[in-house]
Amino acid sequence: MEEHYRHLYEALSQVDGYIYPNEIDLHWGLMIVLYPYITGLVAGAFILASLERVFNVKVLKPTYGLALLTALAFLFVATLPLVSHLQHPLRAYEILMTPNPTSAMAIFGFVYLWYLMVVLLLEIWFDYRLDFVLWSKKSTGFKKYFYKIITLGIHDTDEKSAKIDDKLGYFITVLGIPSAFLLHGYVGFIFGSIKANPWWSSVLMPVIFLFSAMVSGIALVMIIYMVVSWIRKVKIDMPCLDTIAKYLFYILIIDFTLESLDQIHRIYEAEESFDIIKVLVSGKLNITLLVMQVILGTIIPLIIIGIFQIYKPSEKIRKAAYFFVGIIVLIGIFFMRWNVVIGGQLLSKSLSGFTSFNAVYSGMEGYLMAAVWLILPLFILTFLLWLMPPWKKVTTHE
Amino acid sequence: MGPKRIENKRRKFFQTSAALIGGTLLYSLIKPFEALAQPKEEEDPKIDKADLPLWGMGVDIEKCIGCGKCAEACKIENNVPIEPFYFRTWVEQYTVKKNGEVKIESPNGGIGGLKQSVPDEDIFKSFLVPKLCNHCTKAPCVQACPVGATYISPDGVVLVDETYCIGCSYCIQACPYGARFMNPVTKVADKCTFCYHRITKGLQPACVEACPTDARIFGDLRDKETDLVTFLQENPTEVLKPHLNTHCRVFYNGLSSEVR
Amino acid sequence: MPKIIFRLLFSFVVFVGVFILIQRSLKPDSFGEYGHYRGNSLNDNKMRTPYFKGEAKCAECHEDVYDMKSMDLHDGVRCESCHYPKIDANTDCEVGPPIVKGTIKFCAQCHGINAARLDKGVPQLVLKEHYENQNCIECHNPHAPWDLKE
Repeated sequence: MEEHYRHLYEALSQVDGYIYPNEIDLHWGLMIVLYPYITGLVAGAFILASLERVFNVKVLKPTYGLALLTALAFLFVATLPLVSHLQHPLRAYEILMTPNPTSAMAIFGFVYLWYLMVVLLLEIWFDYRLDFVLWSKKSTGFKKYFYKIITLGIHDTDEKSAKIDDKLGYFITVLGIPSAFLLHGYVGFIFGSIKANPWWSSVLMPVIFLFSAMVSGIALVMIIYMVVSWIRKVKIDMPCLDTIAKYLFYILIIDFTLESLDQIHRIYEAEESFDIIKVLVSGKLNITLLVMQVILGTIIPLIIIGIFQIYKPSEKIRKAAYFFVGIIVLIGIFFMRWNVVIGGQLLSKSLSGFTSFNAVYSGMEGYLMAAVWLILPLFILTFLLWLMPPWKKVTTHE
Repeated sequence: MGPKRIENKRRKFFQTSAALIGGTLLYSLIKPFEALAQPKEEEDPKIDKADLPLWGMGVDIEKCIGCGKCAEACKIENNVPIEPFYFRTWVEQYTVKKNGEVKIESPNGGIGGLKQSVPDEDIFKSFLVPKLCNHCTKAPCVQACPVGATYISPDGVVLVDETYCIGCSYCIQACPYGARFMNPVTKVADKCTFCYHRITKGLQPACVEACPTDARIFGDLRDKETDLVTFLQENPTEVLKPHLNTHCRVFYNGLSSEVR
Repeated sequence: MPKIIFRLLFSFVVFVGVFILIQRSLKPDSFGEYGHYRGNSLNDNKMRTPYFKGEAKCAECHEDVYDMKSMDLHDGVRCESCHYPKIDANTDCEVGPPIVKGTIKFCAQCHGINAARLDKGVPQLVLKEHYENQNCIECHNPHAPWDLKE
């Protein structure tokens, strides 16, 4: 508590202009930056998988299973930063017990459950069911029991059952696309629906969140695919990688257009709040918005992949470039979330001043905890890849 | 008759129950969206709302002298931490300078009395605005709370359920007036309750009790005999941020356009 | 219907059923009584004991001071504007005195010069010039400000 007060006194001394006295404390910190970030990675990875299955981009096949497992690994973690930022984490269950129908946050609990239980788990299950049956016969120990239980007692391995799996899996994937859109559009809505905050309140917010989610998810799967191939010492499928990069390029263009549109709209309408937003963007968010998000996270990747669309250098250079682009895109999208969540709280609702953000290293809201939530999904993914490696699958869908 | 038949029967039973539960689920999925727009005024047979008071407050900016007694009294009455980051009510001083610049200040929420920091010769006009929760009829905080831990009481006061709040801060983000804060001791959202424990006992809120110039007028908006209703009749009053359509129940007399 | 769909639907139904059961059992009793909140919370909010007691209560014992105040310019200033209640509301004020204040700094909360305070019927003074290094109550009786002491 003393530590908290000391922190607030420090913030108090850094206030610019006038803010309401209750606004000195920034209520949403790093954890709430991570929450849309991780959820976005899930939605993006899933949509990459759907590209292959529903939109029939066959060249992406090597990343299909990987993308699904990545989505699952990150989805398991997605709500944990949210829960850990609560002042009363033990009361978190109330969101599911007495959800307030008018609250965007409450309904998110159900959107999340729907996406996890009905879409992602089912799609992966249909994809792997036959393999589980076959693997359960060959394996021993923990794996054997796991495969046995997860088959839900269905041991059919004939042609007909495989066909049913395939059909149902396809159906779920089709259902999954709007669900993934809903999942991440909804996260945008949590911010976009706050009319009190002019930096958040925008109808474009859900759409922007959605496209930036796709960008980050695709970049993540691209990197994971390269790393996993490198660890497994197999050759990277270059046409596949090129195609992922191409989609990253297209969606990044859409994302950039939408975000520009949002800003142009603000500038042109120049509402009451515009004066303060102008100061926010050119001042407190200067580095995170213009440098990190726009230049590093958007323009440089666009230029690099853009050049590759016209002129293709050697594989080695392309691989290195894709890896680099993946990393800076992920950083850029992280700062996009940062600029929304932290940026929106820096400006006072009195529209007359700013508070400041002082990050901490330890504690539930600190950098260390944030690192844990970002690394944990990678461990879960490693475990999933060990348990159900997509490259050892016997069956593949049509 | 045979195992096959029983299997069928059982399957049929499961199908029916699946359909029933699925239907319920579907209904519960759709139901939230009916009320998505705003928390609707629920008609409750147990409480006849017409018999209840409808609490509101009038703030007379022309009378406020910025002594900060209200903010101090509020902290004492409601056990609000003494640190200058937590206020259920506070007083802002607005100074419009001759060059058109507007300076707003509220050091320690006005506790200890506000002092003018701009030299007299630069001042075009100066006035004081007490702020508190506006007890909106269409409260954005109530709309946003994920668990129903903040609500509008049947007598029109926005309250917090301290034993139920999960501390997600969403209501604080949703409040356009900065009237909410996270109480560092109880770790739940905290806000002005119009001193609900006082007004339900026939007393006045602590801020009203402490105000030496009667700049705050508290009362029942339904009772046509109260000072509050007279105040509303005799003065042109305005609410804060009317464009946000929150329908506040705190009314200001003498509100200047500089006030946010 | 293929066995696989049946099996999955069954799991789904069990899951939803268990969820609804848990929801039923964990929902607080009075939830939804008046709206989407715990009805008992209204009582929790009412239950707290008031600190400020109001002038009528003060006047019960201090009628003389109360009358003196009513006759003079501090009429509108209520007892507890200056004497904050420090003691528990359940006990009488005899248990411990309210905080008595009368320093320049304290009186300046209302009477210090502030452009926003002019023309509001509250005398404005640069108190340091008015009487240096002296507490206001050394001359003025706060309960009757114009009843000057020698």
